[in-house]
Amino acid sequence: MTIDQWSVTYRVNDHALLALDEVGLRLVPGSITALVGESGSGKTTLGKSLMGLLPEYAQVKGHIKLDEQEMAGASEEGWNAVRWSEVAMLFQNGPANLNPVHRVLDQVAEPLIQHGRRSKAEATAEAEKALARMKIDSSQARRFPHELSGGEIQRTLLAMTLIMDPGVLILDEPTGALDAITKAFVSRIILDTRDQGTAVLLITHDLDLARNMADNVAMLYLGQVMETLPAKDLLTNPLHPYTLALGRSYPSMETLRDLGGIRGDAFYRITHRHSEKNGGVRPHTHVIGTEPSHENGHLHPKGCLFQPRCTQSIGPCCEKAVQLQDVGSHRVRCLRGGIAMQLELMQVSKRYGDFTALGTTDMTLQAGEIFCLVGETGSGKTTLGMIAAGTLSPDQGNRMLEGRDMDRWIRQDYRSLAGKIGVVYQNPAEAVSHRLSVFDIVAEPLKIQKRFREKGEMRQRVLRALTDVHLSTDTSFLGRYPHELNMGALQRVCIARALVSGPSMVVADEPTSSLDPSVQAKVLKMILDLQIEKGLTVLFITHDLGVARKIGDRMGVMLAGRLVEVGPTVRVMGRPAHPYTGLLIAGARGETIAAVKPPGGSNSRGCPFADRCERAREICFSRFPEMGGVEETRHLVRCHFPMG
Amino acid sequence: MKHSQRNSRHRQYIVAYLLAALVMMYVSYSVPRWLPGDFVTAMYSSSHVTLNAEQEADLRAYYTQRQGFGRYLVDFFTLNWGYSYAFLTPISELIREALPWTLLLLGTAHLLSMVVGFLAGVEAAWRRGRVIEKAGVGSMTVLEGFPEIGTAVILLLVFALHLGWFPAAGGETAYVEQSFGRWALDVTHHLALPLLTLLLAYFPGNFLLTRGSMVMVLKEHFIETARAKGLPSLRIRYAHAARNALLPMVTRFGLRIAFMVTGALVVETIYAYPGLGTLLFNAIAMRDLPLIQGIVLLSSLMVLFVNLALEFVYGWIDPRVKHAS
Amino acid sequence: MHRDARRTLGGDPWFVTGAALALLLGLLVVAGPFFAVHDPHDMSFRPLSAPSTEHWLGTNDGGMDILSELLHGIRNTVVFGLVTGMIALVVGVLIGLVCAWFGGVTDHALMRFSDILLAVPSVMILILVAAFFRPSPLVLSLVLAGLSWPTTAKAIRAQALVVKKSVHVVAARQMGASGAYIITRHLMPELFPLYLIGFAAKARMAMFMEASLSFLGLFDPSRKSLGMMISYALKYYYLDIWWNWLIPPILCLTLLIMAVTFLAVSLEKVFDPRLKEAL
Repeated sequence: MTIDQWSVTYRVNDHALLALDEVGLRLVPGSITALVGESGSGKTTLGKSLMGLLPEYAQVKGHIKLDEQEMAGASEEGWNAVRWSEVAMLFQNGPANLNPVHRVLDQVAEPLIQHGRRSKAEATAEAEKALARMKIDSSQARRFPHELSGGEIQRTLLAMTLIMDPGVLILDEPTGALDAITKAFVSRIILDTRDQGTAVLLITHDLDLARNMADNVAMLYLGQVMETLPAKDLLTNPLHPYTLALGRSYPSMETLRDLGGIRGDAFYRITHRHSEKNGGVRPHTHVIGTEPSHENGHLHPKGCLFQPRCTQSIGPCCEKAVQLQDVGSHRVRCLRGGIAMQLELMQVSKRYGDFTALGTTDMTLQAGEIFCLVGETGSGKTTLGMIAAGTLSPDQGNRMLEGRDMDRWIRQDYRSLAGKIGVVYQNPAEAVSHRLSVFDIVAEPLKIQKRFREKGEMRQRVLRALTDVHLSTDTSFLGRYPHELNMGALQRVCIARALVSGPSMVVADEPTSSLDPSVQAKVLKMILDLQIEKGLTVLFITHDLGVARKIGDRMGVMLAGRLVEVGPTVRVMGRPAHPYTGLLIAGARGETIAAVKPPGGSNSRGCPFADRCERAREICFSRFPEMGGVEETRHLVRCHFPMG
Repeated sequence: MKHSQRNSRHRQYIVAYLLAALVMMYVSYSVPRWLPGDFVTAMYSSSHVTLNAEQEADLRAYYTQRQGFGRYLVDFFTLNWGYSYAFLTPISELIREALPWTLLLLGTAHLLSMVVGFLAGVEAAWRRGRVIEKAGVGSMTVLEGFPEIGTAVILLLVFALHLGWFPAAGGETAYVEQSFGRWALDVTHHLALPLLTLLLAYFPGNFLLTRGSMVMVLKEHFIETARAKGLPSLRIRYAHAARNALLPMVTRFGLRIAFMVTGALVVETIYAYPGLGTLLFNAIAMRDLPLIQGIVLLSSLMVLFVNLALEFVYGWIDPRVKHAS
Repeated sequence: MHRDARRTLGGDPWFVTGAALALLLGLLVVAGPFFAVHDPHDMSFRPLSAPSTEHWLGTNDGGMDILSELLHGIRNTVVFGLVTGMIALVVGVLIGLVCAWFGGVTDHALMRFSDILLAVPSVMILILVAAFFRPSPLVLSLVLAGLSWPTTAKAIRAQALVVKKSVHVVAARQMGASGAYIITRHLMPELFPLYLIGFAAKARMAMFMEASLSFLGLFDPSRKSLGMMISYALKYYYLDIWWNWLIPPILCLTLLIMAVTFLAVSLEKVFDPRLKEAL
């Protein structure tokens, strides 16, 4: 089945709601395509379109081809000819899909009889067999729906949907409320159906299900396809900000990071009446979000639909309509070509005399992610962090922030760059002047960067920053001095200071290491929330693997001034490729480590870990390993003999 | 559902209704004993009926004697229902003559209005939103507001008295010997107006209820599933939707049947149709208390019986019913 | 939701028509008998006279002014309907609330009792009582109310049970609210729509009953009633006077019942969310 430029507008009274906007999809026999979206995305509308079940007040445009036959404008008879026999759908709402006064067996046999394919006796026999295959015996089959359990009903519905062996199978949340065993059983049947050559469309919001069962995934947001990608990339290599954000929101077995949401809201409510001056009605998409700037919350289909909630939107995102572009094996609808690079460090290094603090290193930070830089003391992580923050100049190499060359930027207008980067230091007591009050501390960046003319505006900003970190805005508090605050509060003041100028990136150097554990937890949680709310990119430097595990999307391991392993946190922690990472993890877990030789002198030629490594060979001592990929292109390791 | 469960449910219904029937009969039995003082004279003195002393004594005795309830029941079942002083005939005979007429009228009226009302309601709900459906709903709501008395009198005036198309009274042309065929035609001719009145009174309710119920059923998910299965629309409408819409209608019918009987009585009276209604009316006019008692008791028992039957019907239609309501 | 309701009701043609009719008839009920120039019981006029300036609707076979009869009759019917409706409503609500609140044996017993009442055709009992005892209209009203409360009680009970389980009631209980507080502040306001609907339905039925019973001659003959008028007028259908004697009471009765029906229908439409889309 091919869906091409498919648009659906619902017209109710004098209101026109755009439910689907030029959606394209191909359902290929023998493959499973997942359509992922939340409520209001239009996925149910799409499902119904493929069965011709749209209500009368739906206006459609575009093409739906079933085996070359155009179905888009087909009559009820035209659709009836293909319904169930060529295209069948398993609806949501489990038991509500069965007629309460008919026996289950009759309902499964019904399509065969009504389409004239079999006599009543034959159809009943076949239905009984189909149900038996679903592990429903003949006495159960003769019962009424209310006498069956939820799992039995779902299996019955599946049997009913497959009874005519359709070429296209549409599943709407097939495993929603099921127990684990039934879920596995149903999944197995679906995969078998796929193997027999059926084209399957799986509509779901369950990312795990999509990832495990589908071959390809299409992400639907407010009626537009935002990204199409191979299923295996769904959680580990998303290219669209929405896909990334959704992956972060889903309690999956594949991510370790704490859940975040997506900032802002998007939900539909048809409460208003519209009509234009010329009497026509313009279709628009309903969004009621936290930003009041969109004309009472109505988005018009120009500009990117995801923009109000995107963490990396730029000016043109509000104005230009965006189309799908090919990016590798994905197709992405983003003006910036997908998730943008916030920071790119290419071949940077730093020496202090003889001592190589940082060997030639590459690092990139994606917009809106938290990157944890992990390593022991002296590994060079702080150096790297400061280079990233713009405070330290590297000896060689290039730095780009938001696509601009940082060095040039520094030369031309350092203050504006400074406003884009916020830094939080390890020891809050040392990071602030004790002569300044809380208010002054937080307001300092604004004063330095001469951001605001009026004092009133500056004060507003300061208060807002303090509220963001859950601190009081009483005049009494504003007048306090650092020595009157505890460490946790003081660190929060520092974070407020880092945020007050509205940066797009925050570099945090061991921000919680000198705090008590309970305070640390609160501050970490707050950093996570802030990151989601403001869409910040965070470079989080820490020695604590446990912390990295909890808040990092990606992490990098540093050893002796070099990045030895970089990748998604779940990969690096779950299946570390570099022996050193393995050692760190074992140590963090409290496992006893076999005699560890302390780091020797700088071995400038071979791998710095060689003398401690169990897997070390000749080559490890003589040649420094290059960065290589591990299966996923985003998991890199610098080792001759990586693990796993 | 287990057989034993269903049986016990049935038993519960039967017991409940038997109880109600007994209560009715007891009330009927004991009412006379509650009557104040020497009402016999007071009543009959202002009536058209003159009683001789013997009849008066009998009547007084009938109402004051301490006849046991058991004896009363036996009398009832042996059709020994007493004597009507107004008509000078045994009550059972009067009733036996009038009952078939009432059954003919009420039975036909209810049956027709149910079937036609149901079909119309189903089809109307299927065409929801179109002009014909809205017009139908509107006009039927107005019609529902019309009391039977009103319709009966208007029909009588127009069709019987002005146009003369139909007879104004009676169930058949009296004192005429006819062949069966002609007699059947004659009866139908007399039946037409009262039947039409009742149809006009019962049809809107059935129609609106079916339609409302259908509209709600059509919104259910399994209807969309049925559509998705590519089933012909006739099948979806009846085998799937209407079957489910039937349930509320059956319940409501049971609740309303007692109410409907009054209307039928009134209509019979207006058309002087020789059924129980007219009989009752005359009995009241003549102050013939035993007759009134008999008719009232019999009608109540009939209503009870119909309700009991409905309970079984409901249980058969809806497999989800698990216990006695 | 109630704010929404007012707006929806105002725009609903059934409600508007019903309310308009009800208002008009209400005026007649209240002010009517004052406009009845003649005493309806006064039999001194020439019987069966045609309408004239003195007798706007003429006189009946007993020489009584028809218009006066009509005005008094309307009042009697309406009053009977309203009184019965009110009593049935109060009793039904009380019993429904008691059943829902106390549950257990009380609930069971009262529900079985109302089942028996439902099974018994109230009409018949009414006729029986009216025929034998010739009570005053008030007593009949009480009897009718006493027989028709079960439907209201069941509806109230069902809804009260639902509200009782709702979170705001649970919250109030957690806060320490007493039973009386919950019933008065939480339950009863929620049941408000049911009161209106129940009252309208009962009043309609009662008015219909009154007309039917008076038609059958079960009321005191000196009590003016629409049904009674119709019954007497019918006897003289062959005379020309049918249009000023027979039609007016029928018209009034029809309008009366239609008004209440429309009100009941539109109220149901607005307040019963399940039926909302059905009508």
